[in-house]
Amino acid sequence: MEISDFNELQLDAIKEVGNIGTGNAATALSKLLSCKISMDVPNVELVSIYELGEYYGDPMETVAAVFVRSVGEFQCSLIFILSEEESRLMVELLLLQQFGNLIPFDEIPEYMSDSALTEVGNIVLSSFLNAINLLIGTQHQISVPGVAHDMMSSILDVVASIFGQMGEMALMVNTALNVQGVKEVSGISGKIILIPDPDALEMLLKKLKVM
Amino acid sequence: MAENKYVLGMADLLVAPAPATLVTLGLGSCIGLVVFDSHARVAGMAHIMLPSSRGRIGNEKVGKFADTAVPALIEEMLKRGATRPHLKAKIAGGAQMFALPGVNADFLTVGAKNVKETTMRLARLGVALVASDTGGNKGRTIEFSTSNWLLKIKTLGKGIREM
Repeated sequence: MEISDFNELQLDAIKEVGNIGTGNAATALSKLLSCKISMDVPNVELVSIYELGEYYGDPMETVAAVFVRSVGEFQCSLIFILSEEESRLMVELLLLQQFGNLIPFDEIPEYMSDSALTEVGNIVLSSFLNAINLLIGTQHQISVPGVAHDMMSSILDVVASIFGQMGEMALMVNTALNVQGVKEVSGISGKIILIPDPDALEMLLKKLKVM
Repeated sequence: MAENKYVLGMADLLVAPAPATLVTLGLGSCIGLVVFDSHARVAGMAHIMLPSSRGRIGNEKVGKFADTAVPALIEEMLKRGATRPHLKAKIAGGAQMFALPGVNADFLTVGAKNVKETTMRLARLGVALVASDTGGNKGRTIEFSTSNWLLKIKTLGKGIREM
């Protein structure tokens, strides 16, 4: 089945999966940072893989991304993306929350702030996946997370190369978590992208009884 | 003379006469392949995404796969006046953006496979690969200019190098 053949009902079902995952991820992030998190209504969109680089705007924007892979019945990959500035704020917020002002952020070496960021990504993405797998009643295992700081379009190459093996369209299930009003921080917004493996989408739709 | 600047998107393939600047932004696992002939003063670039079309290319872009892009780019170069003995190639890209310990997923190492396939195809068609900057875990932005036939590579945190 081609991705472009999906009907409205099926796309809606996938959107709902995104919704449930995001809800759980928002709760987890809220607990971790002890602050209010709002979420965007997820959208599901078919995008040409050739245009993925510009999908989120400037392809050259420097971003931080955390990537995990989930294996089991529903095989997929997930990416959590923040702008470089927002990732820095996120880590700062986490440290402030956990240690108060004991650790001056500027003195933290890069590998440690990276480690903190990876953990935030890991918690967000694991919560997202747990909710989905609970919904469809499947078992899963999540990989160790990987982190990268690079140009947006280089990061999205990963997405393009997964969908590129199947055809020319990518099914983007994406959403955002927004950290609200913390002190001087006006807001931090992180994007979550769900990338199902080639055969996993059909399986997901069957489990959701829309195929 | 003002140079004509061309920005190539994913899977694009383009040949232009000098003076020209060919640019590709933010290559991750993809490959930026440059083929040029400084005698005939013509240069071409392809933005390759995946190693192999597995023989199932229909109406997809030829620039998408290494096995279809390399011959197509060379053919287009010859059509535009280049001659085979003068053809030279440079490649950049093929990074692995994420490393996940213990995970064996094809798409994570697609960059290395792209490099291997592109290099092999060039060799098979007898085109000399004169410079390459591949692998690693960083994205690259590349710019090839016919003013000096050099490929400028920008890597985040590493600055600019020319080859």
